[in-house]
Amino acid sequence: MLGEGLLTALPQFEDHASQEKKYTTCYMCACRCGIEVTVENNQVRFIRGNRAHPVNQGVLCAKGNAGIMKQISPAKLRNPMRRKPGTERGAGAFEEISWDEALDELTARLRAIRETDPKRLAFFTGRDQMQALTGLWAQQFGTINWAAHGGFCSVNMAAAGLYMMGHAFWEFGDPDWDRTKYFMLWGVAEDHASNPIKLGIEKLKRRGGKFVSINPVRTGYQAVADEWVPIKPGTDGALALSMIHVLLSREQFDWDFLVRYTNAPFLVVQTPGKPGDGMILRDADGRPQAWDNVNGGLVNGMEAGITPALFGEYVGPDGRPVKPVMQLIAEKYLDPQYAPERAAKVCGVPAEQIERLALEMAHVAFKETIEIKCDWTDWAGRRHEKFIGRPVSMHAMRGISAHSNGFQTCRALHLLQILLGTVDVPGGHRAKAPFPRHVPPPIKPAKHTAPNTPLSAPPLGFPTMPEDLVIDEQGHPLRIDKAYSWEAPIANHGLMHMVITNAVNGDPYPIDTLIFFMANMAWNSTMNTGDIQDMLRAKNDDGGHKIPYLVVVDSFHSETVNFADLVLPDTTYLERFDAISMLDRPISEPDSPCDSIRYPVIEPDRNVRPWQEVLVDLAGRLGFPAFTDDQGQPKYAGYTDFIRRWEKAPGIGFLAGWRGEQGEKSMRGEPNPDQWERYRENQCFFQHHLPENQRFYRFANRDYLDWAKEVGFNATAEPIVMELYSETLQRFRLAGQGLYDGPMPTDAQDKQRLVDYFDPLPIWYLSLEEAAVSEQEYPFHAVNQRPMHMYHSWDSQNAWLRQITAQNYLYMNRGRAERMGIADESWVWVESHNGRIRVQVKLMEGCQEDTVWTWNAIGKQSGAWGLSADAPESRRGFLMNHLISELLPPGSGDRRITNSDPVTGQAAWYDLKVKITPATDGADCAWPEFDTIQPLPGQAESPGELRYQTHEAVNLRRSLKDILTRN
Amino acid sequence: MRLGLVIDLDVCVGCHACAVACKQWNSSGTTGPLTDYDPYGADPSGVWFNRIRSFEVGEYPQSKTVNFPMSCMHCETAECVTVCPTGASYKRPEDGIVLVDQDKCMGCNYCAWACPYGARELDQASGTMKKCTLCVDRIYDEALPEAERQPACVLTCPTRARHFGDLDDPDSGVSAVVRERGGFQSMPELGYNPTNQYLPPRVQRPAQQADRPRASLQDKLKEWMARAITK
Amino acid sequence: MYPAISVIVFTVASGAGFGLLILVALFSAFGIGGGLSLGETLTAGILGLALATVGLVSSTFHLANPRNAWRAFNRIRTSWLSREGVFAVLFYPVAILYFGGLWFMGGTKTGALQGLAVLTMLLGVAVVFSTGMIYACLRTIRQWNTSLVPANYLLMGLASGGVLLTTVLAYTKGPALATVATTTLTLLAAAGIGKLIYYFWIGKPQGSTINTATGFTRAGVRLFESGQSGGAFLNKEFGYQAPISLVHRLRLVVYALAFVIPAVLVALLMQNGMDVLALLTVFSLLAGLAVERWLFFAEARHVVNLFYGAQRT
Ligand SMILES: Nc1nc2c(c(=O)[nH]1)N[C@H]1C(S)=C(S)[C@@H](COP(=O)(O)OP(=O)(O)OC[C@H]3O[C@@H](n4cnc5c(=O)[nH]c(N)nc54)[C@H](O)[C@@H]3O)O[C@H]1N2
Ligand SMILES: Nc1nc2c(c(=O)[nH]1)N[C@H]1C(S)=C(S)[C@@H](COP(=O)(O)OP(=O)(O)OC[C@H]3O[C@@H](n4cnc5c(=O)[nH]c(N)nc54)[C@H](O)[C@@H]3O)O[C@H]1N2
Ligand code: SF4
Ligand code: SF4
Ligand code: SF4
Ligand code: SF4
Ligand code: SF4
Ligand SMILES: [Mo]
Repeated sequence: MLGEGLLTALPQFEDHASQEKKYTTCYMCACRCGIEVTVENNQVRFIRGNRAHPVNQGVLCAKGNAGIMKQISPAKLRNPMRRKPGTERGAGAFEEISWDEALDELTARLRAIRETDPKRLAFFTGRDQMQALTGLWAQQFGTINWAAHGGFCSVNMAAAGLYMMGHAFWEFGDPDWDRTKYFMLWGVAEDHASNPIKLGIEKLKRRGGKFVSINPVRTGYQAVADEWVPIKPGTDGALALSMIHVLLSREQFDWDFLVRYTNAPFLVVQTPGKPGDGMILRDADGRPQAWDNVNGGLVNGMEAGITPALFGEYVGPDGRPVKPVMQLIAEKYLDPQYAPERAAKVCGVPAEQIERLALEMAHVAFKETIEIKCDWTDWAGRRHEKFIGRPVSMHAMRGISAHSNGFQTCRALHLLQILLGTVDVPGGHRAKAPFPRHVPPPIKPAKHTAPNTPLSAPPLGFPTMPEDLVIDEQGHPLRIDKAYSWEAPIANHGLMHMVITNAVNGDPYPIDTLIFFMANMAWNSTMNTGDIQDMLRAKNDDGGHKIPYLVVVDSFHSETVNFADLVLPDTTYLERFDAISMLDRPISEPDSPCDSIRYPVIEPDRNVRPWQEVLVDLAGRLGFPAFTDDQGQPKYAGYTDFIRRWEKAPGIGFLAGWRGEQGEKSMRGEPNPDQWERYRENQCFFQHHLPENQRFYRFANRDYLDWAKEVGFNATAEPIVMELYSETLQRFRLAGQGLYDGPMPTDAQDKQRLVDYFDPLPIWYLSLEEAAVSEQEYPFHAVNQRPMHMYHSWDSQNAWLRQITAQNYLYMNRGRAERMGIADESWVWVESHNGRIRVQVKLMEGCQEDTVWTWNAIGKQSGAWGLSADAPESRRGFLMNHLISELLPPGSGDRRITNSDPVTGQAAWYDLKVKITPATDGADCAWPEFDTIQPLPGQAESPGELRYQTHEAVNLRRSLKDILTRN
Repeated sequence: MRLGLVIDLDVCVGCHACAVACKQWNSSGTTGPLTDYDPYGADPSGVWFNRIRSFEVGEYPQSKTVNFPMSCMHCETAECVTVCPTGASYKRPEDGIVLVDQDKCMGCNYCAWACPYGARELDQASGTMKKCTLCVDRIYDEALPEAERQPACVLTCPTRARHFGDLDDPDSGVSAVVRERGGFQSMPELGYNPTNQYLPPRVQRPAQQADRPRASLQDKLKEWMARAITK
Repeated sequence: MYPAISVIVFTVASGAGFGLLILVALFSAFGIGGGLSLGETLTAGILGLALATVGLVSSTFHLANPRNAWRAFNRIRTSWLSREGVFAVLFYPVAILYFGGLWFMGGTKTGALQGLAVLTMLLGVAVVFSTGMIYACLRTIRQWNTSLVPANYLLMGLASGGVLLTTVLAYTKGPALATVATTTLTLLAAAGIGKLIYYFWIGKPQGSTINTATGFTRAGVRLFESGQSGGAFLNKEFGYQAPISLVHRLRLVVYALAFVIPAVLVALLMQNGMDVLALLTVFSLLAGLAVERWLFFAEARHVVNLFYGAQRT
């Protein structure tokens, strides 16, 4: 576009000959964008978004653009380290050791554990993306004590979706950004789909679609919302169910969708107080029954061509009264307790607004329907000429999930989506491969451990009945985090936030070794940080630590590294191979299953090893069956070799692209020795474009279902039936009522929780902490937001990003604060039932009046992350975590219960209630203050000035004549 | 030719991507490095060409948050150039880009005083004034594929809020959006006639609502019972 | 704007120096009020040149890259800073030629010397005017963007020159003392009135606001975040703001030290010819002007502050 003649006037700024463009995948966060890295002298010149990449389409966020500063971080770990003998844990004194020493020591320890009681190894991972590998490793080791960050992150979203519609929010689905006309965003500041959401919002707004944001705070995405709904935290369930009330009362729901694709017509037994109450009526073969409206009488609800009643009251063959699920839904939500007027009081959202929003969505869903001409076949073999789309979509995340009512709230959102017929249809919320899966996916968590024996199932799975719980005969938890116990029966992702507390209390039992990989559990990713640090230091009477051996695998000098007995230094993301696999949480798009890799672009300059490499090495040393041959010798030369050759099932491995000996097959095929190179040639990602007829209605799309079985996404090609009514939840509830024919809890608290929270239809209840503390005493809700330009704790070491935010504030509604006599930028005490912090306040308009909030994980422990001891992050920045307890306030029972969702065990970070009082002590720094962390051995002093450049600048010069003659 | 940026305030989410992309590109760019002072210490700061400010318009609960990225506007009446005593600052006649010749600047800050938009920052290490170059070292680099001959901030913007082009050419994309969306200048009253423009937030027309009236539950369930839909 | 010592010294000293030189040239070349002796002329001239030089040298202290300072004369076509430099550089040879010539001629005023004196005066006025214009041309700082600024600079330069000349004459008991003192009184009064008008003028709300900056003109606008949690060049360079109460108190100090006390002292001096009074006047005036100059910067609000929380400039 720019004129040719001008070019001659300019010097050659870049010497492209000395540069090389390499492709890999960003890991400044979990969004996994494709990047093109221009490398010059083994230094990064420029990181640019890869235009061809399905995730980011060429764009890059602030973090991704700051990769250079991560690569040159002074906090990078340089060598394996052991806690200096004779020094206290947490004192931060280390000695450097060789990899051989480190791995010999670790292997010996792990071998002893594996030979005796494998579950005495607990292996927990944070924001990683290699859970398929770490999970496999744990399974092969034989410990059930493995999980990733999902339990404290967003298992509520995953579980609600997977137990209801076969896909979920989080990374399992996306709004149909190209077609949606009405988009409702619930409780999202940034989320994992960082760039895709931004790209999508722009598309929506350019198209003139409406964007409604439900969030107590107006920043970021909410800033550009067409309508902002400042909701009171923890009340979204009430809002959504009230919208359902409005839709039902105006008969605004998708009859066809409900009849065809959901369990709305299935009949539910109505025998309150008797065993079997609330279960779906089934015939002798276990097939769900419906009432045929045309022929009258019971029919197999799964059969095509029936005309099942959605409403009415019927009688089962054994004389038991039954009602269709939809009848129960109508009865429940048409009740005046769900009327907008009632919800308005709970949520602080005006009744007219609730009603209007519901009816706006209904209008778009039913009056602005879109159609895509396309021949497709449904599960029953019937041909259709078009996909009908209802262009209303939603996305939700931690504003919903981080509450102890988040699971049911998320179910309420899904119910709303399903009533509107917007699931996996054009313009709605679409699944991303390998989703949709059956409801729920047919994997049960492993329960039994034995010496030197791999688990028979993965450590994590999807219980559907009390028998699936991971508890012993007495009903005591078997896992260290008490996942899948009565306290958190459907804890699909474990409860990472409970591991330290439980292990230190020896409840349910003490462990030997705790491995943390990529998790900052002594700081921002734990609740109750100060106490947790004490627990990590805690000793038994015999002088041994309550957690005897702590291994930390990290790339950087985090607060948690400080507590390690053994530190294993990982590489940075630009220095290693990774497989972002479809067996894990892949990068798929709705139209195209995708996976990707990382390919090293920079040579490490330190004695570091990629953790996956170490895992494969350890697996060989320990003789895991899947990693050794008949002679017990390591089978794989290393990580890349493992990824290339390991098969989950014949033809199915970590990477789906370029399989088959010649790389001619995709999704399924023999291992390809050249697979990594083929990925590299394709800019490090693989994208399989689904044929058009497989892009929608995949839960009932014959061609898709067959293909999904073929490529191993699903075990069968049966249609996926959405469960508006959850029989699973009802089974647990019956157990709580003492009506279940199988394991039942004995503790009164456990029973009551099952009765109260395991409603088979979505409900709303006051979050647990809120219900347990006094509203008068703690009038404010305190929540966090992710800053778009910072990833948890990682980015305070980033010299560019920390210039944007090196200190966080407590943000408050201006009017409310002024009425309380709290001035802008003054210091206040914030107090919860668990503790108090002193922080600096900033006043703003866009904040719900009962809410205070801050940016997450800006506060740092002094001395960590290569920062100076007086860095603002540690002097004035703060963590909300000190206020959040991992245990609920003492309640009625004698046992203190986890501060988590009672169904899924999801950590309830945002249930926090606080009081705020001006700090009159004149202090101007945050409290509590922690000891300054010591520098690591050999750690160079962080530079006092940075002048990063990869080549001497080629200046553009101006001639004197030009200066003298022209402006 | 009058090259510049048009920034869409309707979609800018204030993510700082453009600011960091700019920092990244220009660190090794023609006026690089962009020095960072005390990068790991108590008062980290540095030279940036692009900063994102956020404002709140109106009062709770009707308040609207607006993110406002600001870099050099490549003003038509570039007083920063007028006041520069050394001639280090200049505006290229061929495309309107305002630049600072790093070899001539004496670091007097006077141009920064003359700039209303906070676009100029002194690099203490080199003692010279630095500012947005409109990525002159990208947009004319023929070794780059055509699609990439765009400023780093424009390429990276995840909401595609940033548009680059010739505002003199009425047929250019930027001129078209400015026309269609009512693009405006910041502080027009100062008379700098900035080339960069901002697109105001779009105004939504009221959404339509479904209009079926309420009926009583009893009647409804009865009516609904009879409805037969084939599975 | 941050009131840097170097700029205060620069403007006060060069203003006084050039003011003095202008008046010396005027009184010496044209024998007004009895004229100046050669000794008086040279003493005052050297004093003036010294002050002007101190000021100009001080002005280079804030350059981050002084190696390129010589280039500052390049842009006389547009830049007042350049012009000031060029005028100053031209001023020296002309003034030196004049004073040297006068000395060489033993005090005889030839037509040529008178021509040089006029040139010296014009260049002196040009330098001081340019100094004022350096600030006055900035539309970004409404407190400066007014012709009152160069007028003030000129009046205050001349007034301080007058005080200095009065002082010299007070010690030499020169014949022109009365005329010079009267002129000085007039100049002090004019400068005081000028400053009064200036203070009144900057008190009026006007100029850019947060609304014009963001384009949102129909509702209140407030800064939420400035995109940097710590300081950076812009807020360090422009963010300085003096507390209002201090400003008000200092204005009184300015009036007292720079105008009222010097005027009273000069009037007294005219009555009784006590030379120490003259010295006191100088101290009072220079102190007053330093405060005045400090305020000149401290009260100036650059529009960039709108992006760091200011509602208006
Ligand atoms: N830049 C960046 N991106 C990230 C991360 C990061 O640290 N930085 N972290 C990643 C991780 S691990 C995760 S889990 C995701 C999380 O991504 P998000 O879900 O965006 O998580 P949060 O930032 O916690 O945002 C929660 C939002 O919910 C709002 N909120 C709080 N309580 C309620 C409520 O009761 N109702 C409603 N409606 N809203 C509420 C808050 O104001 C906030 O806007 O982001 C991922 N992406
Ligand atoms: N108050 C409050 N607390 C929260 C949240 C909240 O919203 N509010 N959010 C919660 C949520 S959703 C999450 S997911 C957690 C996040 O919790 P974590 O995942 O535990 O926390 P991160 O800060 O992301 O840091 C993990 C560690 O990974 C390291 N790391 C970074 N890159 C690499 C690498 O390439 N290799 C290795 N081996 N290590 C690396 C970092 O140095 C850091 O020490 O925080 C939780 N904590
Ligand atoms: S969103 Fe940003 S940090 Fe995350 S992967 Fe993409 S570019 Fe990297
Ligand atoms: S990158 Fe785009 S959305 Fe982000 S701050 Fe810049 S202009 Fe706004
Ligand atoms: S924005 Fe500032 S630096 Fe850029 S041209 Fe205008 S006045 Fe000059
Ligand atoms: S700082 Fe440099 S570019 Fe700016 S006015 Fe002074 S010499 Fe010119
Ligand atoms: S055009 Fe280039 S230099 Fe200017 S703000 Fe954008 S990235 Fe920075
Ligand atoms: Mo998370």
